[in-house]
Amino acid sequence: MSIILDRLSKHYTGQAIVEDLTLSVAEGEFFVLLGASGSGKSTVLRLIAGLARPDSGAVRLHGRDVTMLSPQERGVGFVFQNYSIFRHMTVGENIEFGLKIRRVPKSVRHARRDELLDLVGLVGLGQRYESELSGGQRQRVALARALAYEPSVLLLDEPFGALDVKIRTQLRRSLREIQRALSVTTILVTHDQEEAFELGQRIGVIDRGRLLEVGAPEDLYARPRTVQVATFLGSGSVLVGRCRSGRAQLGPVSLTIPPEVAHEEGDRVRVLLRPEQIALADKESPQAISLGQGDIVEQSFAGPLRRVRVRLPPLPHTRQAAPSQPYGEDAILVEAAVPAEDPPPPQKPWVTLRGWHVLAQPTPRLLVCDRGHGKGLAMAAAGPLAEAFNATITILGVTGKRKTAQKLRESLEQRRADHGLSAEVQVREGDPKEQIVLEEVDLRYDFALLGEQRRWLRSRRLRSTPEVLLERAVTPFFVVKGPAPFSNILICTAAGEQSQADIRVGGWIARRLGIPVTLLHVTVGTEEAPSWARSHLERGVATLRALEVESRIQVRPADAPLDGILAQVTEGQHDLVVIGGSGGRARSFFGGGGSHISRQILKRSPATVLVVPQGAW
Amino acid sequence: MLLLPLILLPLAAVFLFAFRGGPQSFLDALKAEEAQFALRFSLLIAFATALTNALLGTFAAYVLSRYRFPGQRALSIVVNLPVAIPTVVVGTSLLLLWGPIGLLGRWLDPYGIQPMFAPAGVLLAHLFVTFPYMVGAVKPVLDEIETTYEEAAHTIGASAWQTFRLVLLPALKGGLFSGALLTFAHSLGEFGATVLVSGNLRLRTQTAPLYIFAQFEAGNITQANAVAAVLAALSFLIFFLLLRYTGSARRSR
Repeated sequence: MSIILDRLSKHYTGQAIVEDLTLSVAEGEFFVLLGASGSGKSTVLRLIAGLARPDSGAVRLHGRDVTMLSPQERGVGFVFQNYSIFRHMTVGENIEFGLKIRRVPKSVRHARRDELLDLVGLVGLGQRYESELSGGQRQRVALARALAYEPSVLLLDEPFGALDVKIRTQLRRSLREIQRALSVTTILVTHDQEEAFELGQRIGVIDRGRLLEVGAPEDLYARPRTVQVATFLGSGSVLVGRCRSGRAQLGPVSLTIPPEVAHEEGDRVRVLLRPEQIALADKESPQAISLGQGDIVEQSFAGPLRRVRVRLPPLPHTRQAAPSQPYGEDAILVEAAVPAEDPPPPQKPWVTLRGWHVLAQPTPRLLVCDRGHGKGLAMAAAGPLAEAFNATITILGVTGKRKTAQKLRESLEQRRADHGLSAEVQVREGDPKEQIVLEEVDLRYDFALLGEQRRWLRSRRLRSTPEVLLERAVTPFFVVKGPAPFSNILICTAAGEQSQADIRVGGWIARRLGIPVTLLHVTVGTEEAPSWARSHLERGVATLRALEVESRIQVRPADAPLDGILAQVTEGQHDLVVIGGSGGRARSFFGGGGSHISRQILKRSPATVLVVPQGAW
Repeated sequence: MLLLPLILLPLAAVFLFAFRGGPQSFLDALKAEEAQFALRFSLLIAFATALTNALLGTFAAYVLSRYRFPGQRALSIVVNLPVAIPTVVVGTSLLLLWGPIGLLGRWLDPYGIQPMFAPAGVLLAHLFVTFPYMVGAVKPVLDEIETTYEEAAHTIGASAWQTFRLVLLPALKGGLFSGALLTFAHSLGEFGATVLVSGNLRLRTQTAPLYIFAQFEAGNITQANAVAAVLAALSFLIFFLLLRYTGSARRSR
């Protein structure tokens, strides 16, 4: 192996830039590191070159541990995004610079310079200065300069970023030829998937400092494991269905799940549909796997292919994870790529599947919010829950002042160790509520955990973190009041919650903990629950039965829903109360009422409360 | 059009008065021992100031441009402070610090170390007064050079010193040159701080501007104007060099 990165991590002011990154690149391989801007991909290159030092982990080049060596001692070739050509030197002098430093005799130097000018196609331009070169020529000079002293590895940081498309294609081709000819181990960093496909023998996709997946371009395209990679490479839709009897239930169709990505009953299943896997037919055929009849939203002609976007009516128990849908949209949007010479598709085509790919079941992730002091209830609950859910933990601390960031990090690390958790620690600066919402809002986590607040503020403006989350969170969150794991779950349907999200999430937890669930409905004024509530409760029982969770229905008359719920928590000795949240829609949907009850439960329940925002999961 | 005579007439007057008694009296005036000393001393101090500040100023500009540290903004303001302070005040404060009864001076005095009223004091004052010019000329050039410029040299294998000598210094040449010329010119004409810290001792610490002032006060107009004419000529030369240099630098862009 030419380049080995062993569990590299790098932080800047409490923020992880590169996180536990392990990678090996073979001798002579062309490896492409693909990621969006800010994903930490350039930092990885800088760590390899020695321009930055890792906080932990090791870099090995050709079997030599260079982690502690200076850039000068590593002998890598580095092409910067802005090229950084020495402007007071001619092209020739730039190329010779590395040789001059190494005290190579003049005649050898000149010969090597001419060789390289020839290699990169700049013969005759050796006497020019940077200001007299075009962008593409500058890039070639930078490449020649990095190759002149026969570097151990070649590192390229977005080398085509500043060039126009036509030159880019040309330069890509010549870079690949040069790399093959010299068979120098190369890592190229880019955000351009086309570039990655064209150049990389293998591609690594990096997101937020983590290497998500590594593989040959074909494999990553056809068989990604995660949603991020599926959507970053190529287009297509990711639909989320449920696992039923070992198959993926996606609206009307049931698709096979390959054994290597096995799912458990009731698990969410993410299915990737690439545009070329979708066919459009003008009539329904019984043999085809059909998602239904949709409307064409948009068509575009792209040379050999015609791209057609079709909107399907909402499918039962199915939602779209990517591309993300605008607010309030529950229709399914799929994209088909059909040969351009085929007759144009009908306005209302039937959407059938020619193929699909089931993504791997992601590891559940818990976000633990801790202040670095206090009782640390959330921290204490995280361990048992992570074990039961087989989840990974991230501890988030937020500080208002930059100065205290390092101190907070240290105390969080200390508390993490005290609770015996293996977890990633993150420190953010800013307002705690804002930062927690920001962190959880992009659905990276399955649950957030908060300790109980010491005091509940009355003022409308100064609201506590759980209150803010109640309105704005999209991830289910626990407000922890006692020890975990739980033994007796209460799911409240009293607040008039229409969605089944709370039952699904509660059931998911009950299944993993192997405990029973009580479904509660509180009636006001009557003894009997109305028929709509009855059928809602029975559907809940059926859902839970499918998850192999034992459940019972409890109907409780009370003066007000809140009183009924609190009484049931105490009498039933429940240690987890599941309530619906608003999922960012509080004010428009319920006005004040629903969220008022939720707030009171959060405040007064003696048991831990789990808030499941509408539309979660 | 109105401004032109306003600027040109006083300059012309210097030369007119210098040569009023004919070239012979001009040369005689310059040949006087004190005049000779004052001119040589001024040139020497100006050279020393330009050289020292080229080093110190480049170092300060490098630190300010390349590193991020707490108090950086404050420091960059402090570095430029000397331009804002009246030079007489600079002279006074230097005296209060280094003078025989000054804060530091009183501890040095018993050992016979006396920076004030000596060439060292003049140099000190000039270094202080002209410091911002060097930083001001070099820092913008440094700011324009991306940090990857040096990193590129490092990855290629150049040591820190080689990077500075072979990569950074050639790129800074222009800024260094014009900064040094500006420093030189200002040092040559410095009066306010010098008059206080030097003690105006003839044949010991008297710079050319001080000599002109002293001769003028004594009524020796010709003597004063002869040296003034030389100073003016030197300034023109420096100004011309600066113009030429910045002109050619702009053309090569």
